[in-house]
Amino acid sequence: MISFVAFSLKRAWQGFWRNALMSIAATATMVLMLMLLAGFWILRTGLQAGLDYTESKVEVVADLKDNAKPAEVADVESRLMVLPEVKDVHYVSSDEALARYRQRLAEQGEDDLTQYLNDNPLHASLEVKLDDPSVFGNVVEQLRGEEIVEKVKEQQKTVDSLLTITNVLSTAGTVILLVIAFIVLFIIVNTIRLAVVARAEEIEIMRLVGASDAFIRWPFVFEGAMVGLLGAAVTLGLLFVAAEPIGNFMVGFFTVLPLRFGTLTRDLVVLVGGAGLGLGILGSWVSVRTYLIR
Amino acid sequence: MTVPIPAAPARSLRRRLLGVGRDQAAADRAVLVLHDVTKTYPNGKTALEDVDLVIPEGDFVFIVGPSGAGKSTLIKLLIRDELATHGAVILDGQDVARLPRRQVSMIRRKIGIVFQDFKLLPTKTVWENVAFALEVTGTPQRKIRPAVDRVLALVGLTAQRDQLPGQLSGGEQQRTAIARALVHDPRLIIADEPTGNLDPLISWEIIQLLLRINDLGVTVMMATHNADVVTALRKRVVALEEGRIIRDEVGGIYHRVD
Repeated sequence: MISFVAFSLKRAWQGFWRNALMSIAATATMVLMLMLLAGFWILRTGLQAGLDYTESKVEVVADLKDNAKPAEVADVESRLMVLPEVKDVHYVSSDEALARYRQRLAEQGEDDLTQYLNDNPLHASLEVKLDDPSVFGNVVEQLRGEEIVEKVKEQQKTVDSLLTITNVLSTAGTVILLVIAFIVLFIIVNTIRLAVVARAEEIEIMRLVGASDAFIRWPFVFEGAMVGLLGAAVTLGLLFVAAEPIGNFMVGFFTVLPLRFGTLTRDLVVLVGGAGLGLGILGSWVSVRTYLIR
Repeated sequence: MTVPIPAAPARSLRRRLLGVGRDQAAADRAVLVLHDVTKTYPNGKTALEDVDLVIPEGDFVFIVGPSGAGKSTLIKLLIRDELATHGAVILDGQDVARLPRRQVSMIRRKIGIVFQDFKLLPTKTVWENVAFALEVTGTPQRKIRPAVDRVLALVGLTAQRDQLPGQLSGGEQQRTAIARALVHDPRLIIADEPTGNLDPLISWEIIQLLLRINDLGVTVMMATHNADVVTALRKRVVALEEGRIIRDEVGGIYHRVD
C-alpha cells in the first residue's frame, strides 16, 4: 500500500515534469479560472455584506406624544420586545433627537439653525429593529394601538422596494457564481484531459502489460491534484500580493460595512484551495476513466 | 516441441468443451481455448464467426489470413479488450468474459504481447521500458532488477540497456518489446505482425528469437503476412478468412494447397 502510494506519487511527479509545458499550461488555466472564481467571490461577499447592512437599517420608527411618561414608554418597550420578530427597541429622547440632528447638520457643513429655537420641537421616538425586515406589519399594528404613540412613520413602500432589490441582487450573485463555477469546471477538465490524451500511448502500454486500474488511475489523479494545489497556491499568492492595494480601496469604499477580512481570507483560502484540489482530481479522474472503461 | 505438462485437474467447463472434437488430454493442456466464438461489432460488422481453436501448452502457431480476416479481433478477445458476442474464450482455464473487472489485469500478465509498431516509450531507456511492465504491476523493486537483467540477456540487449528506443535499430526495438513481453513470465506470447516493419534478415532474427522462447516452454501465437517464414518453418498454421477458420494444420504452409 505504502509502496503503491510512493509509486503513484513518483509517477505523478515524473509525469508533471516530463510533460512540463502541458502541466504549466494546465496550471496557468487553473490559476486564471481560480482568480475568476475568487474575484467574483470577493465581489459577492462585499455585495452581500452591503445588502445585509442595508437590511439591518430597516426599522420601524414611532414618534411619541410629548406627555408620555417614562413608565408608559417602558411598558410599550417591553410589550414590543416579546414579539418574536423584534430584535431591539431603542428609546430616543427628544434631546437625543436634537443632538443627532445637530450632528448631522455639522457633518454636512451647514450652520446650526437650531440655536435660534426657544425649545426643542422634536418628538421623542421609539426605534424598533427587526430580525427580518420583511415582517413589520405586526409591529406597526402594535404601535398604532398604543396610547402614547403619536404616529408610526410609514416605511412600507421603501422597505418593499429595498427588499426586492436586495433579493434580486443576491440571487443574481449566486446564479452568476454558479455559472462561473460550472464554466471553470468545464475548462479545467478539458485542459487536464489534453494532458492525459498526450500520454494515451503510455496508458495503453500499461493496460497491455497488465497494470491494474488503480495503478493507471492514481498517478494521474495525483498529478491532477498537484496541478490543482499548485494553481491554488499561485492564485492565493497573487491575491495576497494584491490584497494590500485592493484592501485600501475596499476599506475606503465599504467603510460602513461590517465586512470582516479575517473570515473573508479564511473562506477564500478554503474556496480556492478546495476548488483547485477538487477540480484537479475530478478532471484527471474523468479523463482517465475514458481509457479504463472497455 | 512437446513439453510434457502434468495434466491439470479437469474443470467442468473444459470438460464441456470436449464436445468440440478435441481429445481430453489436449484440452487439459490447453493454454487457450476458443469455443464457438462470434464477434459482431456494434456497427453490425461480424469480425469472427463460429471460431473453435485450441492451443496446447508449448505450441507455436501462425495465424495467417488477409487483412480484415479477423486476426486483430482475435487478439483483442484474448486480452479482453473486446468481449465475444457469443461463445467462450478460455485462457489458462479461465473464461475471460466471466472475470471480475479487477482480475482482467491479472489475466493480461499471463500474456505477453508484441506489436508491429513496438509500442515502446520513447523517453525511457531499454532497461526502463522493460522494467516499466513490472513497476506498473506493483512488483517490488528488489525483484525488478534481476528479472529485467535476465530477459535483456535472453534477447541479447544487455549492451544496449541504457539507450533510448530512438537510438536503436528496428530489430533491437522489437527485441526490447519482446523482452518486455517476457518479463512477466507469461504463459502465452502473442506477436501481432512482429516483422511487419523489419527487413527480411532482421525478420529472421526476430523469428529465431521467438523460436528460442518457444523452446523454453512459452506458447507462441504469431499473426503474420510473412509467407516465406510460415512456409519455411512448417509449424502449425491457422488460416482465417472473413472471420472463419478455413484451415488449421500442423506443418502447414502460408497458402492453401488445393
